[in-house]
Amino acid sequence: MNRFAEHVIKFKWLIVTAVFLLTIFFGYQITNLHINADIISSLPDDDPAAKLYKDIGKEFGGNDMGMIVLETDDVFNAGVIKRIRTITDSVRFTQGVSSVTSLTNILDIKSSEWGIEIGKLVDEYDLPTTQQKLDSLKAYVFSKEMYKGIIVSDDGTAAAIMFTLLPDVDNQAVAKEIKTKVEKLDIPEKLYFGGLPMMMNDINDLIISDIVWLVPIVFLLIAFILLLSFKSVRGVLLPLITAAISVIWTLGLMASTGYEITIISNVIPVVLLAISNAYTIHVLNSINHITLQDRKKALIQAMRYITVPVILAAVTTSIGFISFVFGAYLIMIKEFGIFTAAGTLIALLLSITFVPALISVFSMYRKNNYGENEDKQTILTHKILLPLSETLFKHPKYTLSGWIVLLVAFIIGIFQIETSVNMADYFKKDNPTRVAEDVMQKKFGGSLPIFVVFKGDLQSPGVLQMMIKTQDFLKEDPDVSVAQSVADLIEQMNDAMGEGKKIPDSKAKIEQLWFLLEGQEVMPQLVNDDLTKGVIQSKFASVDTKDIEAFTKKMNRYIEENQNDFCEIELTGMPSVYTKLNSSLIKSQYNSLLIAIVLVILIVGSILKSISKGIYSAIPIIATIVVLFGFMGIAGIPLDIATVLVASIALGIGIDYSIHVITGFNHYLKENGDGEKAIEYVILSSGKAIVINVISVSAGFLVLLLSQIVPLQNFGLLIAISMIGSGFGALTLLPAILILVNRKHKIKANNH
Amino acid sequence: MKTNFKTMVLTILIGCGSIFSANAQDAVTILKKMDDVMYAPKDMTGENTIILIDKSGNEEVRKAIIKQKGTDKRIFRFTSPASQAGIAVLSLPNDVMFMYLPAFGRERRIASSAKNQNFAGTDFSYDDMESVPFSDKYTPKLLKTEDDVFVLELTPKGRSDYSKVVVTIDKEHYYPMLMEYYDRGGNKVKEAKYTFKKIGNYWNAAEIEMTDLKKNHKTKMQMSDVKYDTGLSDDEFTVRKLVQ
Repeated sequence: MNRFAEHVIKFKWLIVTAVFLLTIFFGYQITNLHINADIISSLPDDDPAAKLYKDIGKEFGGNDMGMIVLETDDVFNAGVIKRIRTITDSVRFTQGVSSVTSLTNILDIKSSEWGIEIGKLVDEYDLPTTQQKLDSLKAYVFSKEMYKGIIVSDDGTAAAIMFTLLPDVDNQAVAKEIKTKVEKLDIPEKLYFGGLPMMMNDINDLIISDIVWLVPIVFLLIAFILLLSFKSVRGVLLPLITAAISVIWTLGLMASTGYEITIISNVIPVVLLAISNAYTIHVLNSINHITLQDRKKALIQAMRYITVPVILAAVTTSIGFISFVFGAYLIMIKEFGIFTAAGTLIALLLSITFVPALISVFSMYRKNNYGENEDKQTILTHKILLPLSETLFKHPKYTLSGWIVLLVAFIIGIFQIETSVNMADYFKKDNPTRVAEDVMQKKFGGSLPIFVVFKGDLQSPGVLQMMIKTQDFLKEDPDVSVAQSVADLIEQMNDAMGEGKKIPDSKAKIEQLWFLLEGQEVMPQLVNDDLTKGVIQSKFASVDTKDIEAFTKKMNRYIEENQNDFCEIELTGMPSVYTKLNSSLIKSQYNSLLIAIVLVILIVGSILKSISKGIYSAIPIIATIVVLFGFMGIAGIPLDIATVLVASIALGIGIDYSIHVITGFNHYLKENGDGEKAIEYVILSSGKAIVINVISVSAGFLVLLLSQIVPLQNFGLLIAISMIGSGFGALTLLPAILILVNRKHKIKANNH
Repeated sequence: MKTNFKTMVLTILIGCGSIFSANAQDAVTILKKMDDVMYAPKDMTGENTIILIDKSGNEEVRKAIIKQKGTDKRIFRFTSPASQAGIAVLSLPNDVMFMYLPAFGRERRIASSAKNQNFAGTDFSYDDMESVPFSDKYTPKLLKTEDDVFVLELTPKGRSDYSKVVVTIDKEHYYPMLMEYYDRGGNKVKEAKYTFKKIGNYWNAAEIEMTDLKKNHKTKMQMSDVKYDTGLSDDEFTVRKLVQ
């Protein structure tokens, strides 16, 4: 390590210049960093249900579907209908829109004695104005399954204007333009904007506002805490600079490797700012403690002491992040794991090279005035830490029992943990997207798309009859109110030809009815070009995990029983994806936590050359994780895409506190041979560093409470709780164990 | 001096006015001449090949025999593909339409008030297929005159899905070469390219290539075996004939 430190000092100019240039390079790269608000794109391709959902969404345009809902007392009012037409036109004439369907332009096929009447439900050039016409329109709309609950809500108080976007257009840009245009129309009724393109646009705005607001707040807050703890410009500047540089490099790295900012990775700057300053703080602390006259030698000696512990701290933290790569279901979580781990290692690298180099280059050595600082800070040592260590010595068993009681209480809480995968829950209750989703659920049978895919000859009576049967089966579920397919249209046309509302029994008839349907705008949403694949489009109304699971289970059984060689059936859609996501949340929690615990124990154990010490050091953080999950259960914070990350991250960061305590203990024990004294020494010396670190990291993460995204709020709160828990555990539980183990050794030794 | 000035202004105003009216006159005449070229034959019989081309270039071919009398009687009878052979569509004056599906063995009258619907999966709407003279449907304005062509802007007189149609007309023979259709949002949504050939005394639209610019979908309508003025009787355009 001496040689490493010497090299750093030798090449100080090179290091400082290289870091400067790389920062400019990566900073420039950030301008190419894009936001990806498309949650669907984060579904993994190796999961068949998710892959099918992505493919079907693309093939049948379902993922590019948006919806505007107009809410009023009664839709069947001359003024309201006129405004529905205005909105419909405004959407229709927006570049990038493929089709629009609403009350004022939907096609209506009537059959009568003399023939077929293909027309519009409402004549858009001659809207109904008299009460009589409005009433008859209302009666007609409610009599037809095609309209009721689809373009007008069952209670007649809301109308939907649905639109699909062309492939290969910028969905968010078009969604934004539509929203702006429609809002400018000054419609007196309440309007809601929903559907994936709209939701993505909103998420995009949330991500930007989170980054713009949260990053400066975290930055200032940490600067303030650093100032309080170090009371020197250097103590504030160096940790902040290294933290900022690691954020810039990480984001620049993301941009230059073609990754995008997602709803999860937008938290990377905050996470890195909160954790990465710690490594520089350790280095500075070590430098402060060396009082050699030769500054260069002092620097080298300080680096010799601190390099290994800092590497250990950073490596364990990155293991917490890396564990997601193996455990997570969503791609965006894996990406988050990779890049936060990278950012942590960047911060480590900077703190052991750039920081000493910078100190040496600019002679930022500290004046010998820290004596008075030490005196001031002893309030913490004397009022809190000293009494703490005294209590520990008197009652180590009480401390242990106290923790055990606490843990039992929280273990009960663990069984109450719920999972949440509903994307609408990611928004705050008053967020327009969430409100719109709620309205859509209430008025239009939900917004979770269901696709039942049929592969076979779509013009054969067998396949079409199977589609009708499946639709009827779907609608038996209380949470499914609408289901549409090409089979409906064929039945309708058959009726129009005078042969009743059923699927004709010959293929020839179907082919000719098809001729009548060709070119209709809705067709590409229902069948593919070569007529080998068709979908039933439906919606699921409940977002309750149990309902969703029961539904997918029931449907999969139905499919198993009904599909045959001529007609292959598959189910996908949000319920299927949510079911998968839900089971994967728990699985990924197990996997990543297990991987993290094992790796951390192995690494700490091998460095301390004792696996039992590795296990001791993991005890406080494992206890903290029990408290964390118990708290989630008791407080009703669900396990979701962000909170699933907390345990492993907490483990990675929190283990550092134990490492400090154990290494300090070892060090002192070797020098003096007195275990009890060693504990007291550790609590007094490392205790201060731990308390400061707990405060600064927790404060950084607590800033996430201001986030616009609910899972990130919970994420921040839970990490802060875990930090406090693991810090407290390292200062109480771990010493108590060490005291008891040490006493046992002593008794054993004495007996010998 | 004052009087002179007044006279001058007046002269200019009258001059301008006459220029405008001459222009308007010209536009109306040009469109009229185009209608004359397009709707000159008394009747027509021919084979119609419809080629549908999707955005990835896949083609689907359909064939039909077409008979037309005047501007308002027409019968389409599909001959291929086999699944559609025999399907026939009869259009009569006043938007009366009958469709015959051989598999059902019966005809149905189709009243379509939705004229913006596409005809049988093509990129032509029922509106585009109508043989109503352009002068009846649109008010023309001369946009520019170039070496070989006139460019007219047509504004619909009645209700239409188009806000305007810009038509490029051959200066010598007065047949349309290009029609560009704009929706009510002012976006160009479709364009039709015409290829005319002289058959006997008449100019025949040997190919019309209609492109839906939104869907990036194309339809080519090609005419072959065209015979004019063979004296088709009204009897050819009846429901009885349709069903046979």
